[in-house]
Amino acid sequence: MDVIYRALCFIIDLFTSFMERIRPGWIERNKSKIDEWKLMAYAYSKSPIAVTGGILATITVILALFGPLIAWEPYWQYKVVVNPDLWLKPPCLPPSCSGYPLLGTDEWGRDIFSLIFYGYRISFIISVMVVVLGVPLGVILGLIAGYKGGYVDEVIMRLTDIFMAFPGLVLAIAFATILPQRIRGLLDASPQLKDFLLWIFALRPQEYGQLAALLSIFLALVLVWWPTYARVVRGTVLSVREQTFIEAARSLGLSTWRILIKHILPNILSPIIVFATFDLATAVLLAASLSFLGLGPQDPVPELGFMISKAGRFFPERSWWIVVSLGIVLLLIAFGWNLLGDGLRDILDPRTRRAIEVRARAKARAKAAKVKGG
Amino acid sequence: MTLVKTVEETLEEGLVLKVRGLDVRFYTYAGVVKAVSGVSFEVREKEFVALVGETGCGKTVTTRALTRLIDPPGRIVAGSVLFRRKNGTVVDLLKVPDEVLREIRGNEIAYIFQDPSSALDPLYTAGYHIVETLIAHNKKVKRSEAVREAIRLLKEVLIPHPEVRVKNYPHELSGGMRQRVVIATAVANKPKLLIADEPTTNLDVTVQAQILDLLKEVQSRYSMSVILITHNLGVVADVADRVYVMYAGKIVESADVFTIFEKPMHPYTRMLLRAVPNPLKKIEKLESIPGTVPNLINPPPGCRFHPRCPYAKNECMREEPPTIEVERGHYVSCWLYHRR
Amino acid sequence: MGMTKFLIRRLMTFIPTIIGVMLITYIIAYVIPTDPVRAWVGGEKLLNPEALEKVRHKYKFDAPWYEQFSFLVISLFTGQLEDPVRHKLVVQELSYRFPITVEVAIFGFIFLVLISIPLGIISALKKDTPIDFFVRLFALFGSSMPSFVLYYFLILALFVYTRTTYLAGVPLPSTACMNMIASYPESIPVLGHIAFYIGQVPMFGAMMCGEWDVVVETAKRFYLPGLALGLLGGGFIARLVRNSLLDVLSSDYILFAKARGLPKTWIWRHALKNVLVPLVTVLGIQFGGLLAGAIIAETVFNIPGMGRYMYDSIARLNFPAIISGAFLFALIYVTINFIVDIIYALIDPRIRY
Repeated sequence: MDVIYRALCFIIDLFTSFMERIRPGWIERNKSKIDEWKLMAYAYSKSPIAVTGGILATITVILALFGPLIAWEPYWQYKVVVNPDLWLKPPCLPPSCSGYPLLGTDEWGRDIFSLIFYGYRISFIISVMVVVLGVPLGVILGLIAGYKGGYVDEVIMRLTDIFMAFPGLVLAIAFATILPQRIRGLLDASPQLKDFLLWIFALRPQEYGQLAALLSIFLALVLVWWPTYARVVRGTVLSVREQTFIEAARSLGLSTWRILIKHILPNILSPIIVFATFDLATAVLLAASLSFLGLGPQDPVPELGFMISKAGRFFPERSWWIVVSLGIVLLLIAFGWNLLGDGLRDILDPRTRRAIEVRARAKARAKAAKVKGG
Repeated sequence: MTLVKTVEETLEEGLVLKVRGLDVRFYTYAGVVKAVSGVSFEVREKEFVALVGETGCGKTVTTRALTRLIDPPGRIVAGSVLFRRKNGTVVDLLKVPDEVLREIRGNEIAYIFQDPSSALDPLYTAGYHIVETLIAHNKKVKRSEAVREAIRLLKEVLIPHPEVRVKNYPHELSGGMRQRVVIATAVANKPKLLIADEPTTNLDVTVQAQILDLLKEVQSRYSMSVILITHNLGVVADVADRVYVMYAGKIVESADVFTIFEKPMHPYTRMLLRAVPNPLKKIEKLESIPGTVPNLINPPPGCRFHPRCPYAKNECMREEPPTIEVERGHYVSCWLYHRR
Repeated sequence: MGMTKFLIRRLMTFIPTIIGVMLITYIIAYVIPTDPVRAWVGGEKLLNPEALEKVRHKYKFDAPWYEQFSFLVISLFTGQLEDPVRHKLVVQELSYRFPITVEVAIFGFIFLVLISIPLGIISALKKDTPIDFFVRLFALFGSSMPSFVLYYFLILALFVYTRTTYLAGVPLPSTACMNMIASYPESIPVLGHIAFYIGQVPMFGAMMCGEWDVVVETAKRFYLPGLALGLLGGGFIARLVRNSLLDVLSSDYILFAKARGLPKTWIWRHALKNVLVPLVTVLGIQFGGLLAGAIIAETVFNIPGMGRYMYDSIARLNFPAIISGAFLFALIYVTINFIVDIIYALIDPRIRY
């Protein structure tokens, strides 16, 4: 744990010296903020949940980024055509069977282990895209609604009411069903978009037809995501707006946007970061669920949820290893983000942050006393 | 909950409560907080006692410890609290079984807390609280009788239209009315001892005066003894018969109210009186007490006030001063008044 | 009392929301891609172009957009919309399947409550002990586990243990029983209608007729999906119960209750009722989520309810079915939220204003 603390402090120090270079005197002015950051780093290193979450999340990111390079078997080769032996082969460990995939194969004869690396990439990218687009969209709409009030507020609120009237999955299904057609048109019109998507999902150009499905899952989820954030942010804006320091800022002539960004946003940043982290997990699961229901890409794209749903047909004798290994992968991705979010929540709240620090120091004292005495 | 040591004492005639050597500690991650250390005091029948001191000096913890209302990580480590019950028997509240304690609470010893808004359960009506307290201690009472008694009590605490108010929820009542309801609930079973923890601090000034008058009124009507916690000396002058001054978990001075205001002996008491406008004396200038309240995890050695005391001597830093009776009924815990 | 005023105010927001839901459904319906007809009639096979044309005409795909629009919407609301793949009225199909999904949701709800509330109370009382930590991990697990994966895991465990896998179908009460229930609206005044609707849920219908073997069969069939649903959401609710309970137990009114010498059970009554306030809201939301989760659960466990209907419809691009299903889900969800608000107002007098 100490290593982590020192590493984080190192990064903080790098940042502060950089800021000092471009704006001399910065360290003096922001001393208490820097101290709080270091306290956050300490609390983070002492929280096993946060640390484990961080490790899992880092693994996810690394595998997502480098997965397709690591994967030793291309996902588009239907090996079973060449070697019928490979059809739904259960996993086996050497030395009893060497030359056969460790985690078994699916019905196209592809190595499951290799597919996992591709799958990481797809799930991760979708979830990141959803959060990166949906959260700011919701936040901005919430800020506008809360600050402007009146007609604009009413309209946005009615919209969120209607969107939130549908249970999340249901709304996503409805959108994901109708979007692909429309998106196909969009993709035809813009080859740059097409190329970009193929690259980011690590797919071959032949899979172009599946892009529409992938993209529609993503768009459907974005549409499902923004209302919650809009609601929450609007609520916070409403309560902060009435506080006196905003009135003071306004009387000083600060423009609306300035107030929003400099005064209101910092207050809501911490909870948003926490929610967004949790949402990364939820997005992964929801995207996988939509694929499971058949709304996502089809063969040969190795989307995790989709592969599990195919395995369902041969379940349980013929495909349990597929469900188990792919399921655990999904679980680990989501689990990592959830742990991180839970840990961050404790760290970003000043009270619990201090409680963690006090507790850690007490434990350290107790340990030191024991060492001395024993 | 185990007690380390107790002192065998008897309860003299005319005394309702006698506390000896009360010691309460909080076992936190930051360390052991010695909130109350060796506190001893008495309350006579029908006496109005004021417990005075700064925030954090241990007044609240002391009064809560009297009926074992201390939750972990707090623990009552030592002491005895002798109490004369309605039926004349004398018990040590720190040693009686839980069931006996439950009988005494709300029935013979009652509490009023600082914030009336949070003392009442927002999901239940004002009347329900009173009725609940009545039935809890008088099983034979019928609900309709209890409701009638509740209305009568509300009238006694001067709530207008009590028949209507009895069905009101706490959020429908103003702060002053809520406190009256709390008072009505507390005196419902005509307790012998009423403990009021800063009952007026959260209220408007005008309402404060009303509530205090109400407390006096209720005290005389039911011939109760009252322990009033406050940091407001004006209130003390108004209602108290006897004053105990607390600092850093200890009682530093005690006397009847006139003596405390006219002849304060302990340096802390003196500085306290100089920091506040005193209705009984003419003071030229208000002074603040330098320094801050000590950390009770590692209290200063010797007399706990010595870091802030202008008269501190060597012995003050080494040893805790004993409590001596300077004149009749006037006790001080200070080396200034003890000649070796 | 402010109750009636509250009810009226709540209805005033309920109705516009329903209208808004209808609006969204309109818009989605409008955006339906043209020519899904091929998929409806069986895929890529070359078909009698006349038959294709007939179906196209029936669903007004050859008409201008506003006609398409109003056709879909009106038929949706008058219950005349026909499922092009199953050749039945959507309403008919859904009315048969809806009670089954309700059964699944009920079992899920029972397990959810059974698991989460005791765990929440225990972890509050034993704060910061290993049990508390375990409950926290359990909550995180529940929100990290993909539902379908858990279902497969459970089936796998069951398979390994007992060698039984897929059950099929849903236990139903006898026709004689259903006839009797059908007569309730006439034979019993007022309550008869309520009893009739409750009786539509197969399990309750069987209970009303005393056909307990059906009830037992239902339990055997539904306990697994119910358990899974309970495990998924249980940890989260347990944490909520824990945090609420801790807040409540440290509140002044509980201290006052103790100081008044109330018996322990009475004090617990105060505490639990206050915990109920945030709990009811969350449970209501969870119940809505259970219904949505039923879509996947029914697919994996082979239960012929509304969720399965949605899944099959998705596979066949059966847009009328999908939209009707989505609309019904939304309707139920909004209604449940409405009921939850009412219950909430019954418990907490503060919000009647």
